[in-house]
Amino acid sequence: MAIRTEGAVISTSTPAVELAGITKRFPGVVANRDISLSVQQGHVHAVVGENGAGKSTLMKILYGMQRPDEGEIRVNGTSVTFKSPSDAIAVGIGMVHQHFMLADNLTVLENVILGSEPRVGGVAIDFGAARGRIKQISDSYGLGVDPDAMVEDLGVGARQRVEILKVLYRGARILILDEPTAVLVPQEVEELFENLRGLVSEGLTIIFISHKLDEVLSVADAVTVIRRGTTVAEVSPRDVTARQLAELMVGSELPSPETRESTVTDEVAFSVRDLTVRAPDGRVLVEGVGFDIHRGEVLGIAGVEGNGQAELVEAVMGMREAEGRLLLGEEDISAWPTLRRREAGIGYIPEDRHRHGLLLEAPLWENRILGHQTQKPNVKGPWIDRAGARKDTRRIVEEYDVRTPGIDVDAAALSGGNQQKLIVGREMSGEPVLLIASHPTRGVDVGAQAAIWDHLRAARAAGLAVLLISADLDELIGLSDTLKVILRGRLVADVDPAAVTPELLGSAMTGAGEAA
Amino acid sequence: MLRNRFGRLAAAVVAGGMLMGAAACGGSEEPTTSAKPGAGASSAAPQEKGPKVGLAYDIGGRGDQSFNDAAAAGLDKAKTELSLADTKELEAGSGETEAAKEERLRLLAQGGYNPVIAIGFAYSASLKKVAAEFPEVKFAIVDDAAATGPNISNLLFAEHEGSYLVGAAAALKSKKEHIGFVGGVQVPLIQKFQAGFYAGAKKIKPDIQIDVKYLTQPPDFTGFNDPAKGKTAAQGMFDAGADVVYHAAGGSGGGVFEAAKAAKGLAIGVDSDQAKTAAADVQGVVMTSMIKKVDVAVFDFLKSFTSNSVKAGNTVYDLKAGGVDYSTTGGQIDDIKTQLDELKQKIISGEISVPDKTA
Amino acid sequence: MSGGTARSPEAGSTFMDRLTGRVRLGGLLALAAPVLAIVFAGLITAVVLLVTGAPPVETLGVMVDYGVQPRPLTLALNLASGYYLSALAVAIGFRMNLFNIGVDGQYRLAALIAAAVGGAITLPAPLHVAAILLVAVLVGAGWASIAAVLKVRRGVSEVISTIMLNAIATALGSWLLNKDRFAVEVAGSNNIGTQPLGPSAQVPGIPLIPGTPLKVDGLIILAAVMGLLYYVVLNRTRFGFDLRATGRSEPAAVASGVNVKRMVLITMIMSGAVAGLAGMPNLLGESYSYSLNFPPGLGFTGIAIALLGRNNPVGIAFGALLWAFLDTSSNILQIHDISPEIVEIMKGAIVLSVIVAYELVHRYQIAAGQRRVSRELSGGPTVQAEGASA
Repeated sequence: MAIRTEGAVISTSTPAVELAGITKRFPGVVANRDISLSVQQGHVHAVVGENGAGKSTLMKILYGMQRPDEGEIRVNGTSVTFKSPSDAIAVGIGMVHQHFMLADNLTVLENVILGSEPRVGGVAIDFGAARGRIKQISDSYGLGVDPDAMVEDLGVGARQRVEILKVLYRGARILILDEPTAVLVPQEVEELFENLRGLVSEGLTIIFISHKLDEVLSVADAVTVIRRGTTVAEVSPRDVTARQLAELMVGSELPSPETRESTVTDEVAFSVRDLTVRAPDGRVLVEGVGFDIHRGEVLGIAGVEGNGQAELVEAVMGMREAEGRLLLGEEDISAWPTLRRREAGIGYIPEDRHRHGLLLEAPLWENRILGHQTQKPNVKGPWIDRAGARKDTRRIVEEYDVRTPGIDVDAAALSGGNQQKLIVGREMSGEPVLLIASHPTRGVDVGAQAAIWDHLRAARAAGLAVLLISADLDELIGLSDTLKVILRGRLVADVDPAAVTPELLGSAMTGAGEAA
Repeated sequence: MLRNRFGRLAAAVVAGGMLMGAAACGGSEEPTTSAKPGAGASSAAPQEKGPKVGLAYDIGGRGDQSFNDAAAAGLDKAKTELSLADTKELEAGSGETEAAKEERLRLLAQGGYNPVIAIGFAYSASLKKVAAEFPEVKFAIVDDAAATGPNISNLLFAEHEGSYLVGAAAALKSKKEHIGFVGGVQVPLIQKFQAGFYAGAKKIKPDIQIDVKYLTQPPDFTGFNDPAKGKTAAQGMFDAGADVVYHAAGGSGGGVFEAAKAAKGLAIGVDSDQAKTAAADVQGVVMTSMIKKVDVAVFDFLKSFTSNSVKAGNTVYDLKAGGVDYSTTGGQIDDIKTQLDELKQKIISGEISVPDKTA
Repeated sequence: MSGGTARSPEAGSTFMDRLTGRVRLGGLLALAAPVLAIVFAGLITAVVLLVTGAPPVETLGVMVDYGVQPRPLTLALNLASGYYLSALAVAIGFRMNLFNIGVDGQYRLAALIAAAVGGAITLPAPLHVAAILLVAVLVGAGWASIAAVLKVRRGVSEVISTIMLNAIATALGSWLLNKDRFAVEVAGSNNIGTQPLGPSAQVPGIPLIPGTPLKVDGLIILAAVMGLLYYVVLNRTRFGFDLRATGRSEPAAVASGVNVKRMVLITMIMSGAVAGLAGMPNLLGESYSYSLNFPPGLGFTGIAIALLGRNNPVGIAFGALLWAFLDTSSNILQIHDISPEIVEIMKGAIVLSVIVAYELVHRYQIAAGQRRVSRELSGGPTVQAEGASA
């Protein structure tokens, strides 16, 4: 716009990034609507919002991965148009993705220079120069990255620092961090924040995307809240509490996962004895795990992702070979195939609903049959009972408040929360005796989260035994009657959910808490 | 004799080019229904009367550089020398059924084409059936004696006799006592070539080593149209010590010649005088060819039709009738010509009976 | 926990899923794609015809005029029976993500052995036919089971193994088609084939179309029955549900308790069994012998038709008829001095257009589906336009 008169001189008062009136439509939905955002140089600017509020789309626009339908992007006062991420990189914007994009079997150095290798004489890679630059970047921002370490030997926090270094190496002055803490335990989060403070003190600008409000408040200099695709507030972290911020995000009162009175009985519904799972290459993924779940009990398993939870669940479901004994009531089910376990009353809410829980391109009523294709009301003998399955799907849609125009739409057309409610409803039908709930509210909006918690509580009160795996520590602490910590495939600690805080649980998950 | 059923896989690509070619040829012509397809060297003025000739090719049709082309040459000759009112050439599609072949012949007969000539034994059953439906139409079939009827002429060749002579020539010319035979596709017809070749060579040198290789097995008929396969097979024989290789592999023969040239060996052509028709740079390695005069048979049949002297049943084009022979272009076998002619006379006189089946 | 885990709906299906119809297209849209494709293919063909100097409209007129006459119509139906069975065999695999490229080898070997067995025995008519069909089914299934076992036990891709098995079937077939083994010689013929089937094994034709002495192969009924069976088994049975679920998402099927290895084995064998039937209409209705003239390549035609019909039994029927019609019209085009290769160009153009058209229609449908859901839900108080923004 022509009104801007500051001229070419970039002063500290010029925002590093300015978004004005950004609108992005996807078929049928407006992902971003009239978004305005102004990020000061040398700030950590947090963008918060629920899942699906439009944060990721906004960042993809800022990084050139998607083009806005309307609106203007200004970087350091200059209006820019990005056709691809390389345009964004060219003006100094870098993105650290939530999922690391590193090659495990290469060194840090090789990963960093991959795609922008310094050349000697146009052919050979100048490793010396690269190593020097990496050292220099690492030292000046206090990242502590060893260029010659193999990536596969690094922990999650160190890998993230490599990702950051990779972006800095390409000359970024404005960093976008997409949910950087999602994969970190509390201690690593703190380290990350130290690094971020170091970066901004050197004059870099950071856009920090999160929906973890405590973290946002502790690190950000400014916070922008996005709700339903648009910016609803820009606040200073000094002026708001986490609760106020959350209510801005959600636009309503917050649910809580707390369960009040205990419904645990002394009747063991499911017990695991000395369960060991090995990878095809012989590596031990789960080692000597054993526990009992009683009727009416929720047993929570806490742990940083990748410590054997997924393998434990798959072993319980019979999807993975395992040693040890599994007892469902009195019966030894260790040798049973998945189908028989399901028939015997094990419900399963899988971690990745798109991969394991749904047929995305099939209608809802067919998804009702999935996993229950030998059980009433879905089948009569070898035949599919369409009428029965459809009727029961309508029941689930009704009881579990699945927002859908009908049961003939494809599962893919539903939002994540409604997909998850359908799965929960399905797995709760047929009166299961054991429910394996893996991240039951991951990627689900707040309303659906509360509904799913309610259903879990109700089923527990009715005598269901639940094995709960979650990365959401509040959820784990709030729902579990018993809480165990898994680390490197072993159950390392029992925690009292009534007494523990997320911070304490977090240290237990890294192993530091064993002594505590 | 040479067919190619699988070549059509590439047709989608090739066809465009072929059509362009056809367009170039036909561009100046008026869009009449009797336009002559392909590069037929026909007289410009259409004849007022005379027979309308229908020709049904096997897969590949006119332009296959082989068996179908030989028939086409006979037709072209007839067009210039006999007064034909019209000609129509249809070709088979890949993977087609008997019913499709019948329909082709039926369309020709129904369209007033008389006589109708079917090229290749694949038409045997269909021709027999359709000929019965059209008793007033004269039919001829090349390479098949099984389809019989009062209005069917069977044009047969004694390929084994011709092959016997080139087999003898190969044995006489071989210095290493080691020769080879490359067959296109392992079908009885090609085995006939092999049988004659084998017998002829053994007659001269009973201890000679003869390598035999067929390029493909039915229903894969690409062996008749794959020079690369021919080259590999022949190379293998030359490497193993052979110095003369005879091919009965249609379009794949070009590869055999290339292998012969590279190995400084000799090759024997088939069907036409390949010392004249092969690519110029390899003509020198073709010491002789087993000539199968399909063009003569087609022309003779048409001629007898115009003179109203068509004979139903078998007409055998053997050595005696000059339907098969060996060629002497290039003079490479002039030194053994007497011996070969002596054998030829013995076959004609019946003194030597050439087997037409492999042992 | 994070926005990144909520995949956009499109990410759920791969291009191959859409191509092979594991993804449904609803209602009229299902019809729109093939119609669009054929119209587009028609345009391409018209351009080619124009370039080569043939008038497109007249050419089409010639094809249609000829195609609707009783005799060519009968020929097309007979041709379509085999095409249909072959495409069904391919489709069974496609529905489960299995690419049975080996239908070709399976039906050829099945036809050869069934013809040899049928020629060697004599039984009362219905039994004789049944015995031949049974042999064909067993041979087809048996040959396919090699690829199935290799995949289940050794993880060998069925694409690779069936291609290899096609080559082996060719070699085996030509070894068997020898006068020392299955073949008999006909005096004076350069052809070679199995002992012709006796009258008790010849399935009588049906005078379905008046105006021609030609009859429609009796086994067209077999093709129709198999189509119906295909529909019922896939859509109405537990087994069919498992099969489709595995095709749509193998991990989801595993989690739901489907034994995927067993499914691979059964599906591949079923596919081979149906493939074994593909040569039967021709063998039992027309040629009565497996000879050098027995039509090859049906298996590959089946792949194209299964794609065209999106593995839907009715769609495949239309595809098979269209292919048969095009093949039949090749003769009449030549009579009118139009190169028969135009038919091959048409087929290629149709398959290509179908791929493009289905993709376009699918994208339209996804968008339309999302619009519909958000529109119909927009009445609700707390609805979020969630999911698509992730």
